[in-house]
Amino acid sequence: MSLTDWINKGRLKSPWVVHFDCGSCNGCDIEVLACLTPLYDVERFGILNIGNPKHADVLVVTGTVNHRNKTVLKNIYDQMPGPKAVIAVGACGLSGGVFREAYNVVGGVDKVIPVDVYVPGCPAKPESIIDGVVKALDVVKTKLGLA
Amino acid sequence: MLEYLVFLLVVLPVLSAVALLCIKNEGPRKSVVIATGAVLAFCSLALFAGGSFQLRPQSMLGLDPDVLVTGLDFALLAVILGIAVKLKSPLLIALGLLQILPLGYFEYSFARHAAAGPSLAADNLSLIMVLLVGFVGSLVCVYGLGYMKEHEAHLGLKKTRQPRFFFFLVLFLGAMNGLVLSNSLAWVYFFWEATTVCSFALIGHDGTQEARANSVRALWMNMLGGVAFALALIAVYKASGTVLLSDLLAHPGGGASLALLAAFFLLCFAGFTKAAQLPFQSWLCGAMVAPTPVSALLHSSTMVKAGVYLILRLAPAYAGTSLSSLIALFGAFAFLTTAALAIGQSNAKKILAYSTIGNLGVIVACAGINTPASIAAGVMLLIFHAVSKALLFLCVGAIEQRIGSRDIEDMRGLIAVMPRAAALTVAGILTMLLPPFGVLLTKWMAIESAMASPLLVLILALGSALTVVFWTRWAGLLLSAPMPAAGLVAPGAAVQAASMRIPMTLLAYGAVLAGLASPLIYRSLAAPFVSLFYKGAAYDVSAGSFASGAGTFSVYPLFLLLGAGFFYALRLARRLPARSASAPYLCGEQTGDAAGNVFRGPLGPVAATPANLYLSAICGEEVLTRWINVIAMTMLAVMFGGIL
Amino acid sequence: MTSKFLLALALTIAAPFIGGLVTGIDRKITARLQSRYGPPIAQPFYDVLKLLGKDRMVVNMWQALCPVVTLTASALCVFLFGMQADLLLIFFVLTVGGVFLIMGAMAAPSPYSQIGAQRELMQMLAYEPLLILVFVSFSMVTGSFKIADVYAYGRPLLPQLPLMFIVLGYALTIKLRKSPFDIAACHHAHQEIVRGVLTEYSGPNLALIEIAHWFDVALILGLCSLFWSTSALGAATLLAGAYFLELVIDNVTARMTWRFMLQNALGVGLALSVLNIVWQSFNN
Ligand code: SF4
Repeated sequence: MSLTDWINKGRLKSPWVVHFDCGSCNGCDIEVLACLTPLYDVERFGILNIGNPKHADVLVVTGTVNHRNKTVLKNIYDQMPGPKAVIAVGACGLSGGVFREAYNVVGGVDKVIPVDVYVPGCPAKPESIIDGVVKALDVVKTKLGLA
Repeated sequence: MLEYLVFLLVVLPVLSAVALLCIKNEGPRKSVVIATGAVLAFCSLALFAGGSFQLRPQSMLGLDPDVLVTGLDFALLAVILGIAVKLKSPLLIALGLLQILPLGYFEYSFARHAAAGPSLAADNLSLIMVLLVGFVGSLVCVYGLGYMKEHEAHLGLKKTRQPRFFFFLVLFLGAMNGLVLSNSLAWVYFFWEATTVCSFALIGHDGTQEARANSVRALWMNMLGGVAFALALIAVYKASGTVLLSDLLAHPGGGASLALLAAFFLLCFAGFTKAAQLPFQSWLCGAMVAPTPVSALLHSSTMVKAGVYLILRLAPAYAGTSLSSLIALFGAFAFLTTAALAIGQSNAKKILAYSTIGNLGVIVACAGINTPASIAAGVMLLIFHAVSKALLFLCVGAIEQRIGSRDIEDMRGLIAVMPRAAALTVAGILTMLLPPFGVLLTKWMAIESAMASPLLVLILALGSALTVVFWTRWAGLLLSAPMPAAGLVAPGAAVQAASMRIPMTLLAYGAVLAGLASPLIYRSLAAPFVSLFYKGAAYDVSAGSFASGAGTFSVYPLFLLLGAGFFYALRLARRLPARSASAPYLCGEQTGDAAGNVFRGPLGPVAATPANLYLSAICGEEVLTRWINVIAMTMLAVMFGGIL
Repeated sequence: MTSKFLLALALTIAAPFIGGLVTGIDRKITARLQSRYGPPIAQPFYDVLKLLGKDRMVVNMWQALCPVVTLTASALCVFLFGMQADLLLIFFVLTVGGVFLIMGAMAAPSPYSQIGAQRELMQMLAYEPLLILVFVSFSMVTGSFKIADVYAYGRPLLPQLPLMFIVLGYALTIKLRKSPFDIAACHHAHQEIVRGVLTEYSGPNLALIEIAHWFDVALILGLCSLFWSTSALGAATLLAGAYFLELVIDNVTARMTWRFMLQNALGVGLALSVLNIVWQSFNN
């Protein structure tokens, strides 16, 4: 195995997640945090919830994007060094959800940054969020040309 | 030949000083200062090449040199008394009289009977000091040329006061050379007082209220030392019938009589005042009001170094006494406490001042520990500290002229504004702080040579841990800037005048190379001096490693490995592509401004203003100084009481 | 001499693997203590490999420079340990790593990394004196600062320096970034002041710092083993016991403030050291 192979192995085994609440009702946030509890224990897969986009590989966004926080979302995305993936969680993250028609709402996450995986639900279940991260790894795999 | 060299080293600066006093134009002043510096540097090398010597000058200006020096001495004391009267300070007048009377008594009753001997002499310690004066001192004077021009322009003086400034600055070098080359304590005393007067004049140079007050404080504290010195002259002569250092040191370790020990204590006391040891630290801290070249000179090659020179010089004579152990404790205490005080400071010059006092404390401690290893450590620290500290002062001077502040908080991100000065400052800091550089090597030597006394090791080691705090944060905040758009050096960066830039650069190279050359410095400078007075080699230096029973410090391997790591890192960092630049993390709320620390707030931009932790509740001057002074004075009293 | 050199070289190469492995076991046991399943033992290696493969992202060039110097210094410390060199020298070289880490963090104007750097400085202020005290106590027993003389001493040091082992434990907790002293940056991915001193280091630079940390872990374990230098089994038992205790402390305590750390670590550490050193000099 060459060094690149080792590194690729590492990439698939250690997705560090930064979770950005883009204006969710907190329903999805609680489910994201539930993934860390002993019941789900995502650290089994090397997934860490990290507080810093500069350290993260996967951006998990919950909630709708509005005019106030769209630059924040963009900035955070830009400050993640590549290779990286984005997961939109919950109906709000996907399309704006119940807030879609509000005057201040831009819409789903993909209005601002490219999204790789969409995890539906209102709120999304922890299982499906974990599933989303695993899917995101598949996306990374394809991006790296490993699939 | 020898006479000429000594003459050039001591008298030429005086003549140049007088010339500088008369020169009103910049061009000739420049030539005279640079020429004097060059001659001093060259002569110091030539004198060093000649090795140790003893010399009895037969006549000077047709007079007996002893008579001449005595005459000058009284003249100088009269000048001091004149200053004291002019300042209407009863304290200064008393201190002046307390020097004139003992000196008169000494000259009247003893001097005639003193056996004629070599009044000038030099061994490696003196030669090292002459080299420091010749090189570091001269570089500081050259720097002064560019600095003072800018300084006076800033003050908006109508009539230049530079003739007066350079008169005293260059005179200082001559006085210092005279001090370290004198063998007769009476001569040392004369030059000692000369440095006191020079420093008084220079500290008060700017003539502001504060400058004047601080210069007076420096004067009285140093005159206190002068009084001790004058009394010591009498005591030494009464106890041993000679005032020649060479005679006093002829029997190293041969138990000095109590009277002689008391005399040594007085001399060390004089040394403590001059070296600004506790509780006399305030004069050196106050001296920072002077233009920066003065601070650089006082801290690096002259003045305070005269104090530790005397203490180191006498070390063999009081070896093995309880005075010696107390001196060691006294110095180590100064090191620990000034490190704590420096943590509480954000004023760059004060940090440097406390660090100087601390390092001098280490040298004093080394003299007190009084083993071959410790003396070697003291002598080498003298060298390394002079180079690094001169560099740091010159840098702070240049920075202050540009940004108008000497507070380190205002130096945040200086690397973007003054890349060269900031980089040199960081270099200076690293040479003070980290291995494999010289200052740290000597600290290691000091700690390991103190092994017989756990308390001493403890204090020195703790002090050394404290110094990390104030140096690191200063170096770090100098670098605190976002990546410039084009390369390392931002456009519009400040460039200092050549006369300032060149000395700074030379000193930086000197500081790094001196560390690399430490095995050589040990072998050719320190070890020969140590072996004059002590039996047994202090260190076994081979393949660039210092080895003793207590441990090993490998200089070359460390330089090689850490240097390789550093240069690889530098190469890597320099080749970073511009696209790897990213704004500092501000929770995604950055405004994208150039400073890189401004949040987008709901009511407009909000700048994050981080500040260092200064631990002022523990390390503040107001908290610590009183206690430190009380303890230091108690220690001095115990030292004196112990002898009696 | 050559064999010693080769041994030191081997130790230096092995150290990051030892350090990484210990970190992996640490994470596993921590997870079990929290009744989680936990990551695979090799997880730290995956993390670092991944970080090495990420794009470089820096605030300025010092951020790329400093981790390399930190790593060099940490590796050099282990090498010097392998050469059974001077303890004080190792201590000073260790400082190089710490100083450059802080300088790099301060080089970024972000408030999080600035605060983290200040806290890291406080951590250094707390553990450096303790480490030095431990070394001084070694030198008082063996008569020199050389590690070689610890091995030549022929008796375990622990019975003579029991309190110093606790002092080293304090230093260990701080240096390993364990609760209650994980003030500048936690080695778990906790989110206090973002990531403290490590906030602005990312990708390969963070990987280098992590590897440097592994070297430090190996070095500190080595220092602990000096307390039972006479037998490998004794040293191993001591290490395992000490590290497990460290883990328990990490899991049962909360993060404290830097003021608490300075008072507690320095106060207790100094007191224990003085006690032990005085007791020790009476014994002699
Ligand atoms: S998807 Fe549902 S639970 Fe999630 S943030 Fe939107 S409203 Fe709340």
